[in-house]
Amino acid sequence: MRFLTIAILGMEKSMSAQDKVVINNLPTGVLGLDEIVGGGLPEFSFNIIAGAPGSGKTTLAHQFVFANATQERPALYFTVLGESAIKMLRYQQQYTFFDPAKLPNSIRFINLSQVVLEKDLGEVLAEIIKEVEKTNPAVVVVDSFRTMVRKPQDGSSDMGLQSFIQQLSLFLASWQATTFLIGEYAEDELRDNPIFTVADGLFWMSQIAERNSVVRKLQIIKLRGQASVPGLHTFRITDAGLQAFSRTFGLSGHKSKPPSDRRLSIGIPELDKMMGGGVPEGDSVLVTGASGTGKSVLATQFIAEGIRQGEPGIVAVFEERPQAYADRAGSFGLDLEAPQKDGTLLILYLRPLDLSVDETMNEILDAVKRIGAKRLVIDSLAGFEMALSPGFREDFRESLYRMIFALTGIGVTILSTVEVDESFTEFPFSTYSISFLTDDIIRLRYVSIEGELRKILVIIKMRGGSHSQDIREYEITSKGMVIATERLKNYQRLITGIPERMNRFGDEEELSPKP
Amino acid sequence: MAQHLLDQEAAADKASVSTESAAVRVHEKLCRSLCVLAGVAGYRSLASRALILASAKAPSLRAMQVTADGSLQVLSEAELAINERQAGEDRVILLAELLGLLQSFIGKALTLRLLREAWPNAVFDDCNSGDGEEHERTR
Repeated sequence: MRFLTIAILGMEKSMSAQDKVVINNLPTGVLGLDEIVGGGLPEFSFNIIAGAPGSGKTTLAHQFVFANATQERPALYFTVLGESAIKMLRYQQQYTFFDPAKLPNSIRFINLSQVVLEKDLGEVLAEIIKEVEKTNPAVVVVDSFRTMVRKPQDGSSDMGLQSFIQQLSLFLASWQATTFLIGEYAEDELRDNPIFTVADGLFWMSQIAERNSVVRKLQIIKLRGQASVPGLHTFRITDAGLQAFSRTFGLSGHKSKPPSDRRLSIGIPELDKMMGGGVPEGDSVLVTGASGTGKSVLATQFIAEGIRQGEPGIVAVFEERPQAYADRAGSFGLDLEAPQKDGTLLILYLRPLDLSVDETMNEILDAVKRIGAKRLVIDSLAGFEMALSPGFREDFRESLYRMIFALTGIGVTILSTVEVDESFTEFPFSTYSISFLTDDIIRLRYVSIEGELRKILVIIKMRGGSHSQDIREYEITSKGMVIATERLKNYQRLITGIPERMNRFGDEEELSPKP
Repeated sequence: MAQHLLDQEAAADKASVSTESAAVRVHEKLCRSLCVLAGVAGYRSLASRALILASAKAPSLRAMQVTADGSLQVLSEAELAINERQAGEDRVILLAELLGLLQSFIGKALTLRLLREAWPNAVFDDCNSGDGEEHERTR
């Protein structure tokens, strides 16, 4: 008996490993959505696209249909009550994905409104079955099935609708069709709705107006058979249709690069020394300081040094235009024109209107992938946040965290600048509470010494190891940032910005003569 | 294009020499094809609009109406065109208005594709595609 049990267990184990059915994935036709659904939409799945009017449900279904329909395995698009099919075609053909050559042989639009108006759900089902058997489609869309539900059915009940959906699901699965039912639903209707239990996939689409901007979000509430990326994903509707922006920025399948011992030079020798040889590759560095302390100069030297060493770089600027940024770098003897021409440097000017933080970050990520960037400068985080619509600012830190995590995971070294208010009672690193996002923090600040406003620099933290504890004075010269080779001695309370000079006995000394 | 469809239909049925009967068949084919796409109500509203527009150019068409199933019905025999040639021309005007409406809503490319589906053996070339910009041909 024990032997038999072991034998069955062994057989089950080997069967599960070898005979597991392979679910083919179909392209969604929506940029960014394949990654969100875990590689593509499972073939033969029965899906519901739900959302409020205007949320993009029909466009999503059209993109899927145009991406998958062929003459051999066409798509059947059943229109019911609601948008006129003629007008739907009028508007949908404005999208670039709409290929008129696919009509009518690969994509057939069939209007069922008469059947719905005059007959019952059973007749609707019969009509769909008749067309499916005649056409053998790979894709079936019913747009919108909710309008059928709203039509009063004689003697119908929730069970009648459930039965309709259940039978439709069973039939279409048997006919090896991947199906979309489109329905207008409010968010609270999604909970405990038995109709949704039948569906293999449930796509929830929404648009929320916040102040003057609109945020479009997509959530895969469920998807049987494979792991989708959880959470709300931003999407946009452009001339090309929907474009989705995964919360993982398309990097969820990428292997993390193993930690590197390599140090990257910032291009400021004394700073490299203070950091124990430079910035650890793959780190996120935060440079903080008040306006005019030289954060952008330091960032420019970091990117220019990378270019000099053959490491392509991206600079994302928000507060000045790329030409102005390059011109300013030129005034410090750093040539950013030539690397832009030869494709090793991209200066991205990102002043989006109503763009989500994910879209903006997606643009940065695309640029990183496009030129194989090893270094990224974000100048500055304050500008980045201000460039976003108010509705997106709430997500800023969370999205920034995801982007930094994703990019540093593939070995990109990021240097971000952030402006802090100069305080003479505190020593803040950032007003954004984002210090936790960074591996290394370099703090720049003004100090008042002997009637002069001078600048000091200190390495606050380096997650990757030891670093200099020195407080060094520095200057911004025509060659960029130049740091003193010795720490600033004979002063205490330097970080307050109002230091006190100590005499040779270590006692405080007045800095200025008494009046 | 409307005349071309009538010619196609007349050529397909050599037994019938009547333009009127060819026109009826063209309307029936269009009705069948468009009802699948737009539903009976959708087709009926398009055909009704086309009839109103065409009646302004061919007053005898005021004697016709679009029925609930989308077909054309004569209301008053007395007001119909006095001869067959005139009736044929009026039908061409009506068809042209219907095709024009369709083209204004879904564009030339999709309109031609719908026509090809209804007349799979017909030739639609640049002469018949309205402004002659496209060179599409199918058999």
